[in-house]
Amino acid sequence: MEATTQPIEPMTSRQRVLAAFRREPVDRTPVCNPTSVATVELMDLVGAPFPEANRNPEMMARLAATSYTELGFDSIMPVFSIIQESSALGCKMQWEQKDNWPTVRMREPIWVEPDDIKIPPDFLSHPDMKCVLDAIRILKKEYGDEVAIIGKTMGPWTLGYHCFGVEPFLLMSLDDPGKTKLCLDRMKEATIQFGLAQIEAGADALTLPDHATGDLVSGEYYKRYLLDLHIEFAERLPVALILHICGRTLDRMDYIAQTGMAAFHYDSKNPPSEAMSIVQNRISLVGNINNPETLFAKGPETVREEVYRNLEASVHLVGPECAIPLQTSIENLKEIPRSVKDWHKEHSTPN
Amino acid sequence: MATISDISNEFVRNEIEEYIEEPDEREQLIATFAKIRPEMQEIAAALIDGAHHTVDELTHKALETAEALEVMDDGLIAAMRIVGIKFRENFIYVPEVLGCARAMKAGMKHIEPILSASGIEPIGKVVMGTVKGDLHDIGKNLCIMMLQGTGFEVIDLGVDTKPDEFLAAVEENGASLLGMSALLTTTMPNMAVTIETFIDEDLRDDVRIMVGGAPVTQEFADDMGADGYGKDAMECVALAKRLLAEGVEAAG
Repeated sequence: MEATTQPIEPMTSRQRVLAAFRREPVDRTPVCNPTSVATVELMDLVGAPFPEANRNPEMMARLAATSYTELGFDSIMPVFSIIQESSALGCKMQWEQKDNWPTVRMREPIWVEPDDIKIPPDFLSHPDMKCVLDAIRILKKEYGDEVAIIGKTMGPWTLGYHCFGVEPFLLMSLDDPGKTKLCLDRMKEATIQFGLAQIEAGADALTLPDHATGDLVSGEYYKRYLLDLHIEFAERLPVALILHICGRTLDRMDYIAQTGMAAFHYDSKNPPSEAMSIVQNRISLVGNINNPETLFAKGPETVREEVYRNLEASVHLVGPECAIPLQTSIENLKEIPRSVKDWHKEHSTPN
Repeated sequence: MATISDISNEFVRNEIEEYIEEPDEREQLIATFAKIRPEMQEIAAALIDGAHHTVDELTHKALETAEALEVMDDGLIAAMRIVGIKFRENFIYVPEVLGCARAMKAGMKHIEPILSASGIEPIGKVVMGTVKGDLHDIGKNLCIMMLQGTGFEVIDLGVDTKPDEFLAAVEENGASLLGMSALLTTTMPNMAVTIETFIDEDLRDDVRIMVGGAPVTQEFADDMGADGYGKDAMECVALAKRLLAEGVEAAG
């Protein structure tokens, strides 16, 4: 990203985020969480609690908008979890309550073989998919000119965990790479279909979580199974794509930087300066404020330190590393944009 | 002192030379495998390679002449030590470990009935589960596999385990250790809730509690009053052994 010390005309949040995805100059570093900033406090504030806010488009939009209206972030992300597609594909769900995210019952997989993979004809009109599309339309209408609306479409690796079960899917990848690639290739159509539908609904960008994390698989696995698919997504989904992979990813960041995606949302297990030196200027980085130790358990001072660490490393967009813990305090979240603005004031060139 | 050339199996020799970098661990493994009979080394090699059908066949065959304990200790558990170190050092990842675990199970299915029939006591009993609201279990399952491979009896409560269920399982089984896992930041606090439940029921002193999972840290474990934190399956086993020994000492 261009240095932000040169005076640049003030930008809207939307302009700022989209410019950062293109690694163009920005008036200040945007604050963005392309996964989720929903918290219990925010749910109470706007009367949009889980699990309803995951299934009702008005509530989903209302809760998502708080990232801009209450926290001062530059983006809005209405998809708080990673389960909408899996629900539509037929996975068994645990919708949980206000204090927990919904989860797929991965111990009860729905598919075993590649031929089991069927994307239902009514995939996009399933209530859990339609909810996201309607929420994006609401947000686009209300905030579309001023703030970046980011959608989310799950990658095939994560869908594999959900639909085949984590252990069976990983064992398949070990035993039969050809079969695994065939499965991924078939599942990718769900990613594409949902992505295109969200673009049509008004999404400015799409997060593409595909959890091939270093905590589970090697960097070479990423290259073998996902690099080409991620390149294909960047070609077929005509908006800025933000790849999200939790955990350790330094060993695959060079590959990730080759995908042609706009950005990579990275985890606090990867030091910002090291990550930046690997990706060079090939992909923007978004992140990487620690969730469990910092945002959840510490105070604003520690949040500020981590924000500054990212800004000193010239990370392109600053925000939490992943979907934030639902019990995170608003005070800590507000500290992120506040620190970003202060850092830029401290580093601005006097006229 | 034993040297690497004292190990007869070429595959095992190569594995130690290529992947075991820490001098003490290397020395211990060389000493261990140098004493292991070639038939058991062959089982170990197959397990490290994740060849479950081979482990199945070789274990079955070995039990015709060897003691079950020898096959388990020298063929399976010794191999899992190499697998654990390779995993810890990122030479292999979860799919490969799952492959080795499958091989271990293929061997244990022949050994377990013999051990049960002979009344051999486990080295300790551990209740394991993923906490309430969390359906992720791959880390927990790897810990269980390593614990079982070390001689612990594990009572696996699965996922989405309520505090009362942990409590009941510890009491019913007379377990001295409890392990809790969480992958989600939203469910981590349920570890603390479970510990509180043990305190409320006046049972906290009867059990040593260990915690783990991707977002969990030593600091978080300390804050909630757990007895220990393990960052991976290898650490879980070391922690379980340490806590067990402390418990015995305290009781003694």
